[in-house]
Amino acid sequence: MKILIVDDSRAMRMIVTRTLRQAGFGDHEFLEAENGAEGLALVDSADPDLVLSDWNMPEVNGIEFLQALRSKGSAVRFGFVTSESTDAMRTLAAEAGALFLIAKPFTADTFVTALGSVLAV
Amino acid sequence: MTTTHQATAVTAEQIAEIAGDVWTSFLSMDLAPDGSEPLTGPTLTGCVHISGDWDGSVFVQCAADHARLAAEAMFAADPGTLSPDEVSDALGELTNMVGGNIKSLLPAPSKLSVPSVAGGDSYTLRIPGATRVEAVTLRSPGGPVHISIWKV
Repeated sequence: MKILIVDDSRAMRMIVTRTLRQAGFGDHEFLEAENGAEGLALVDSADPDLVLSDWNMPEVNGIEFLQALRSKGSAVRFGFVTSESTDAMRTLAAEAGALFLIAKPFTADTFVTALGSVLAV
Repeated sequence: MTTTHQATAVTAEQIAEIAGDVWTSFLSMDLAPDGSEPLTGPTLTGCVHISGDWDGSVFVQCAADHARLAAEAMFAADPGTLSPDEVSDALGELTNMVGGNIKSLLPAPSKLSVPSVAGGDSYTLRIPGATRVEAVTLRSPGGPVHISIWKV
């Protein structure tokens, strides 16, 4: 499977990748984008199976990215990995079609819980 | 500078807990409350702004040595191999996580800005009209980490 990691911080993209490997998902292929605009282009060109996106990014932020994907008919599986996790954001994320919202900081166990069933499908 | 306690729902203990979780989870570093250690020499300061039902900013200031150690831990990099941009990226993301978690404790709805980072031997960051409402200094490898909340 291909997992697209979208975050404006290269340090955070490395940590997400490292945590995915620690969580046992190291056999998957990892792609990276710096913001929602790059993410949209990569979903089109690389057809990932799952998108893990930050929320707070310049240019096109995470929720705008998800809404743009859905508005163009993409049903790619999508989850947020973000430093904010209010009830309102979780509701907005779910209504827009996100499967989960992982709050930073996280652990490998957090990824196992959130992604285990998603990647098993 | 004097800390004034105006209306804010976030305590110094909560700031310390949030930062401790971030540093432990992503850097494998412990942070301990220690207000006695001054920040000296070159420092870096990360900043995020919160706007909405609560308006203000969160600053994370640390010694340049600590910022470098933190970045090396985040990037899993060898000592001395990271660029200033990579060190700023790491501190910006740490600030984003601290600010995002603090935002979750403040009145909503509000929005969080992307982080900015300043650094050097002599600089001043000011948020016009803002008052510092809470602050904590934490002891860490490479020097203290100072986190403050400013309300407009």
